[in-house]
Amino acid sequence: MSVSSTLPDLRESYPPHAPHAVPEQKTSLLGLVPGILLLFVVGFAGKFVEHAINTYTKAHHITFPNIEYVLWAIVFGIVIANTIGLPKLFRPGVATYEFWLKAGIILLGARFLLGDILKLGGISLALVAIAFALSLAFMTWLGRALDLGPKLTTLLAVGSSVCGVSAIIATQGAIEADEQDTSTAIAAILALGAISLFAFPAIGHALHMSDHAYGIWAGLAVDNTAEATAAGALYSDAAGKFAVLAKTCRNALIGFVVLGYAIAWARKGLASAANEAQLKNKAAFLWNKFPKFVLGFVLISLLATLGTLDPKLYPHLASLAPLGFTKPQLLALGNLSRWAFLLTFAGVGLRTNLRDLFKQGARPFLVGALGEVAIAAITLALVLGADRLYHL
Amino acid sequence: MPQKRSILSLDTWAVVLSLGLALLVRFGVLKSVTW
Repeated sequence: MSVSSTLPDLRESYPPHAPHAVPEQKTSLLGLVPGILLLFVVGFAGKFVEHAINTYTKAHHITFPNIEYVLWAIVFGIVIANTIGLPKLFRPGVATYEFWLKAGIILLGARFLLGDILKLGGISLALVAIAFALSLAFMTWLGRALDLGPKLTTLLAVGSSVCGVSAIIATQGAIEADEQDTSTAIAAILALGAISLFAFPAIGHALHMSDHAYGIWAGLAVDNTAEATAAGALYSDAAGKFAVLAKTCRNALIGFVVLGYAIAWARKGLASAANEAQLKNKAAFLWNKFPKFVLGFVLISLLATLGTLDPKLYPHLASLAPLGFTKPQLLALGNLSRWAFLLTFAGVGLRTNLRDLFKQGARPFLVGALGEVAIAAITLALVLGADRLYHL
Repeated sequence: MPQKRSILSLDTWAVVLSLGLALLVRFGVLKSVTW
């Protein structure tokens, strides 16, 4: 029995907007305006409600937990998308939320010193490598146990252990998976991402995790970059920052994982001539798959670090210090990053279609869900262990 | 109908926009951004 015979192709209404994904229809820049305005209105409504509640509770001396604008923006988006629906006019602009996410991540580099990136990024990379090996083995075993087929299992494993939809799209080309398997894997990962938005902060608070440890856990365990950023920001602003850093480390690995799969598929004699030709130049293959926004993030962080250098401590770098940003400039860049994320979080809500969460067939969802729980548990144990050792 | 692909990927456009904004901030065109 095909478990996904009734599956709609979600990419028609919810294009994954992964790197290299091409929208179904060409849209002019003007056609993007209504959707971008809607992202802004929904995001700003979230910010307004957070501010209004805080002002009211303070004025009336009411003790009430601060609910971040992130949650309001996502909830407003979900309500709009699942009640009145998203009219066609707004869809192209709403689809730009991935673009704002990447711009937000690059600008967030202004809030990191390069030393922090090297330290936390190094720890994150080591944790990613361990979690990836464990989760890939677990997902592959689970997919086989539930008889899912090697390509769908691979897509689910990569999606849940590396980085969500972008990794699925990149791996689809390498292993030549069919459209149905790809749609199923994307639907499962998107559904689970939506659930993790609410589950992760609850678990983090229950375990009284620090902002650093929680942020790194969310970045390592939540699949899609948008959801990982939101899950971090739902906990606190600082946790959101560290979630992005850990997630960026995972994103940087996409190229290596896809290359590994492409080589494995070619060795089995399953690769097409076109894919085999691509594999001849492995450096070009890696560069094509490498997420370029990671380089932008590191560059902005480098300029932020140069501006804070004390010439007495680093006399040989003193001539470079004027290239860096001043403190007010870093504040401005950090706030620009927050505005970009505001549009992203509104898009996360507007893209979530609750009906489609359950349309994809039970088995892929079950494999994805069990895998997610296992990965969340593995990464939680790793982060708590690293927190003890390195005081994250 | 197949459409013409953009020369730059979404990622690269995001880098271009962000670096453009960073330059505006660096050279004082964009003096402050409130949140």
